[in-house]
Amino acid sequence: MKESPTSTSDVTIKELETRGIQVRKIEKEVYEVFIGPQHPGSGHMRIIVRLDGDIIAEADPDIGYVHRTMEKLSEVREWLKPIPLLERMTIIDACNITVPYVNALEKLMDKAPPPRASYLRVLLCEINRVASHLYGFGIFGVFLGHSTAYMWAFGDREVFVELAEILTGARLTHTYPIPGGVRRDMPQDFPEMARRAVKYMRRRLIEYQRIFLDNPVIVKRLEGVGVISKSLAAELGIVGPNVRGSGIKYDVRLIEPYEVYDELEFEIPVYEEGDALARTWVRVEEIKQSLNIIEQAVDWLERHKGELILSKDDYDKLPKLHKEIYEKTGRVKLLPVHASMKIPAGKAVARGEAGRGEIFYYVESDGGTIPYRVRVVTPSARNAIVFKYIVPGHKLMDLPAIYGSIDYFPPESDR
Amino acid sequence: MLETLLYIIAYPPLWQILIVGFLGSLLIAMIAIWFERKTAARVQRRIGPYWASPKLGGFLNIIADMIRYVLQQVIIPASVDKTAFILAPVAALIITLLPIVFIPLSPIETFWPIPSMDYSLLVALALTTVPPLLLIVAGWASNNKFAVIGSLRESYIITAYELIAVISILSVSASTSTFNLVSIVEYQAPLKWFIVLNPVAFLAAFLAILMSTSAFPFEIPESEHEVVAGPFTEYSGILYALNMGGAYIRRFIYSILLAIVFLGGWAPYTPPLDSGPLMGIIVPSIIVIIKASIIVLAMSFLRAVYGRYRLDQALEYAWKLFLPLALLGLGWAIIVGFTI
Repeated sequence: MKESPTSTSDVTIKELETRGIQVRKIEKEVYEVFIGPQHPGSGHMRIIVRLDGDIIAEADPDIGYVHRTMEKLSEVREWLKPIPLLERMTIIDACNITVPYVNALEKLMDKAPPPRASYLRVLLCEINRVASHLYGFGIFGVFLGHSTAYMWAFGDREVFVELAEILTGARLTHTYPIPGGVRRDMPQDFPEMARRAVKYMRRRLIEYQRIFLDNPVIVKRLEGVGVISKSLAAELGIVGPNVRGSGIKYDVRLIEPYEVYDELEFEIPVYEEGDALARTWVRVEEIKQSLNIIEQAVDWLERHKGELILSKDDYDKLPKLHKEIYEKTGRVKLLPVHASMKIPAGKAVARGEAGRGEIFYYVESDGGTIPYRVRVVTPSARNAIVFKYIVPGHKLMDLPAIYGSIDYFPPESDR
Repeated sequence: MLETLLYIIAYPPLWQILIVGFLGSLLIAMIAIWFERKTAARVQRRIGPYWASPKLGGFLNIIADMIRYVLQQVIIPASVDKTAFILAPVAALIITLLPIVFIPLSPIETFWPIPSMDYSLLVALALTTVPPLLLIVAGWASNNKFAVIGSLRESYIITAYELIAVISILSVSASTSTFNLVSIVEYQAPLKWFIVLNPVAFLAAFLAILMSTSAFPFEIPESEHEVVAGPFTEYSGILYALNMGGAYIRRFIYSILLAIVFLGGWAPYTPPLDSGPLMGIIVPSIIVIIKASIIVLAMSFLRAVYGRYRLDQALEYAWKLFLPLALLGLGWAIIVGFTI
């Protein structure tokens, strides 16, 4: 005899509860609200929310509105061209997103960047991380109705975007790392500017704390909201500041250092509470750590002036005119042969810590001029599932607080 | 000639309802919106409105916005309840302005719009409680999920703040033993303002008005990131402007009431009973409006500092903190009534 449908659902509910997932049985009529994709509080995604009174009974993240077939497009482009393509996934965090791809190519080519290039990459990565966290912070602020936090964060993000522009020539789409090095050297007066920016940002973070993080209204809104328990965080496989806000010390820079992160001194901020406030604090603390790294990188770069930013054999291959340009301007002018280079057959994986968490690349070459396969696993794609599990049971007004604290970035997730 | 003209202007229905009520509140609403945008911009290290008139600090920008709202197409979705959809904001605006009829702006009987001010405080206060109900009608008529949720929130908030506002504002009657606003002002005449005599009641009234006009940190029914624009989600053009401006006008009317009740009305100046229209009504009105504007601008500034509370938190504060505060104000008022 078949089990009746009610008893089956009871079993699943019990099962889910033993796994620490909040479950709420819907008995009354539910009120279905579509938050997004055209909604001021949604971003390029939709959350289908089923309300029981003011309580969210069910939340269903509906992603894929900005899917741009990045992986497939990478398979029909020469090896270098996916770099400017892939950084458009998370345009606010461009260097962090492309460095692991370049690392994977370097593994296939068995080529290592010179230390100066590595330091420059790390410098830009951290500048990007600060800018990316400030972006998320600002969106979070305005989700809670705090327009001052929004304006401040976006205004101060501009400092770091400008810094990146001075370093690379582009505000957002830097296309900075290339296999074997980076495309530009640091300008002469850059260290001074970077130090000033760091000093400025440290001062501003104290003001942020005063107006936003310690604001009684904001604390009341965030404390104990959207709690991701340690076990749930591990089970769902979420990454980045979200998992570190739940007490798990997981950071690719720490567990598998790439570039020169093992030579730098920094801490991985971890908070145990797992609520929206803890996640916000993780981001703020991370900004402080990134500022430290920027200072260290700039110091190192100043001490090691004149070193190559391109691997030795690449540099030797450059014609005399290009070498002159490099000596004069610090700019690497690539040869056409770079665009149609062949990469030895093989498979490589690489990962890095982007602003929103671990980004993973799998690159396969069949020895041709274009990749055979590029697989990207982005942090937002891994974080999206969180909505389904932590939003139910909260009030509708908590949804923006949770959404903002997760710092979900739809284009990154949809690729 | 000038005297006649002044008498025409000071004709109570014209002066009180059209000039102070309608034009005054429109002007103050515009100044409040401009001030809100400008101070928020200053706090947020921006410039704010600028290009429409750099020398006026971009004030004409607000007028340009209003012209745009007026000329914009009014889209009435097919699925709405048309009559209620159109009438609700219009009726709300009219009823929002009505309390001004019962608020005296001068101690001289000639310049009152109604013959007697005996129960003016009660009537004015009662009329301020009607417009939020029309907001619920607007949301319900919109036939939109976000609008309905917004209306629902509004209805929750009404239950919370109405009692606080009524108790804390009526507490002055416990001190003065009258509902006559003119007597209340005269009671405060020798700088015995109720904001000094009874600051608790003033604070409770201030908070209740913040909640009632959905100012920060209680901007909950229109919270953009959950319910788009709350009850006004489906509105556009002039109807939306009526809804949005309505909140500011409500705030202004409430503030006039507060200025009369707590800030001594036309206090430093008391018009002699035989004075003409200029000194008898126009000058006292301007004093009251200036006092009310200070309250409105103080409320506007909070936008730059606070986020918004969650609905249940706002209700919790209202019932557990502000209502006892209002009752404390009432007790305080009784003590004031016996001692002073």
